Amino acid sequence: MKKYFGVLLGVLTAIGGFVDIGDLVTNAQVGARFGWSLVWVVAFGVVGICVFAEMSGRIAAVSSRATFDLVRERLGPRMGFLNLVGSMLVTMLTFIAEIGGVALALELVSSISYVLIVPFVALAVWIVLWRAKFSSIENVLGLMGLALIAFAVALWQLGPDWGEMVSSLSPAQKPGSEGWATYAFFAVALFGAAMTPYEVFFFSSGGVEERWTAKDIGVMRANVFIGFPLGGLLSVAIAGCAAVVFLPQGIAVETLGQVGLPVGIGLGKIGLAVVVLGFFAATFGAACETGLSVGYSLAQYFGFQWGKYVRPREAAGFHTIVLVVTVIAVGVLMTRVDPIMVTEVSVVFSAIALPLTYFPILVVANDPDYLGEHTNGVLGNLLGVVYLVVIAVASVAAIPLMIITKMGQG
Amino acid sequence: MGLTDVEDGFDAVLHLLDRQVVDRDGKMVAKVDDVELTLDPDGGLVLTGLLVGMPALLPRFGGHLGPWLNQKYVQAGEAYADRGRPSVIELTDVADIGSGVELSVARDGLMRPRLDGGPGTPERWRIGDLVGTPVRCDRLPKRSRVLDVRFSGVPHGADRARVVGLIVGPGRPGAMLGYDRKREAGPAVLAGVVRWLHRHARVVSIGDVEVDREAGEVRIGSGADLLPLLG
Repeated sequence: MKKYFGVLLGVLTAIGGFVDIGDLVTNAQVGARFGWSLVWVVAFGVVGICVFAEMSGRIAAVSSRATFDLVRERLGPRMGFLNLVGSMLVTMLTFIAEIGGVALALELVSSISYVLIVPFVALAVWIVLWRAKFSSIENVLGLMGLALIAFAVALWQLGPDWGEMVSSLSPAQKPGSEGWATYAFFAVALFGAAMTPYEVFFFSSGGVEERWTAKDIGVMRANVFIGFPLGGLLSVAIAGCAAVVFLPQGIAVETLGQVGLPVGIGLGKIGLAVVVLGFFAATFGAACETGLSVGYSLAQYFGFQWGKYVRPREAAGFHTIVLVVTVIAVGVLMTRVDPIMVTEVSVVFSAIALPLTYFPILVVANDPDYLGEHTNGVLGNLLGVVYLVVIAVASVAAIPLMIITKMGQG
Repeated sequence: MGLTDVEDGFDAVLHLLDRQVVDRDGKMVAKVDDVELTLDPDGGLVLTGLLVGMPALLPRFGGHLGPWLNQKYVQAGEAYADRGRPSVIELTDVADIGSGVELSVARDGLMRPRLDGGPGTPERWRIGDLVGTPVRCDRLPKRSRVLDVRFSGVPHGADRARVVGLIVGPGRPGAMLGYDRKREAGPAVLAGVVRWLHRHARVVSIGDVEVDREAGEVRIGSGADLLPLLG
């Protein structure tokens, strides 16, 4: 019984923890501009993150090696360092966006400018990262994140014409006012939002934190293969809500309030309150994950003690990094930079940085020295190679598309 | 054991460098930033220690960048006598080497630089210096370098691990990603591409090569056997 409860809890937190500020903003923007015609990218990205996370989770379970251990072991100190810098910058950017997202969610409730809220959010994040137990962070925020199911309920209440919806899933149903370059740019952004690199840093390091062994592979797979796709459905619901409410009016989504507005229309004030709670939990949880991920990657490259499974005193360097990163994030947000804009940039750079960590993981997932009998199977490798190609293409195409479309404005 | 027998022995870059070192109690110590070899009186090269710290890591950045970074690092703390010396973890303190290096001792006060010098001190080499060294050989492409160093035995066994051969060829050390040692490792497409890129790489016995540390090159005589990887 206890075991089933553990699996259920893992799946639920995986669902609630799947969506972060990148998914919220990008899905709502895409829904408002492209309707249902880009939903296939979300589905494709979700399968991708399942493949990626399952490989890294399996490696962590069998060999206790997390992502950046493998990056340095396989790419060597120089390439590994470039990789570290690139991945860390993207994760930092995401961390800034998440903290901004928490502050924006609290602004919706309090009407106090988010700039004034940011320092308190950062302080709260830091205290949680310093004091709270790893499993409590994951479980509490993951379960609270389930409040975002309000999007799915709201979509059902808004009652779109389901037949019309199904027929508009094809890319050919792209609104005529949008060009194909813009369509491709948002496809890359959605892909980056679904397959953010930190998710894997966090997932694999979390496996080491929770001392997974080869016996835990089954539970890990249940979390990934059930939790992530259901979390992905929430992403689709966010896009769908925006498609129903904003697309016919030609309104662009530019604030977090607009992301939640369709829920207010569909479910009234209570729905709106629930969804704002969801915003808070999703962004706060992701802020914790990204903050830890920066510490994980640096410590794993240089080999010093990391993790929340030891007392903070024993991993002082790791906790110092988390503190410094939090201070930097406050500094950046206090310049009044728009957190939504930071989010838009972070999802595109996520897509750019993805091959850096995906490639070494795919190689090690095939190495019996690490995995013994648990190396990739035929299906795993087939998907692994397909996604290697797609990830490489998306990474190369991202910057040209960003320039051509002026960040999707064109 | 044969030079291309992958069941026995191990390769330094692939199996040892950059691995996580963990102490007796599971606490993290450092990465294997470089590996120390000691020249035996009989002329053999023996694995004696793991090197740790910036003075071991930075030179491995390669080319002109590595030495330059290391020089800047030493200059930034020139008052420290041992600034340029890496710390050593003696191989006798290593309990097991798998995906990480496990020690048989606790990490407290474990690492210190090796302060040798004076008469009778054996000659010490670093794997990081050997790997990447240009190779002169008529039968190999001009751009060939030392890609990896092959050892016999197990690193932490009672018999000390000895260098038995060098893997030489064009390309970058570590770029073979282990596909040179395992025939079955997938994905097939990736393995095929990596093996094709390194189709000129060969294994050569350490007895057949002359390592010239002054000139910074490795010479392979005309009579040496150049064995293909994977046997």
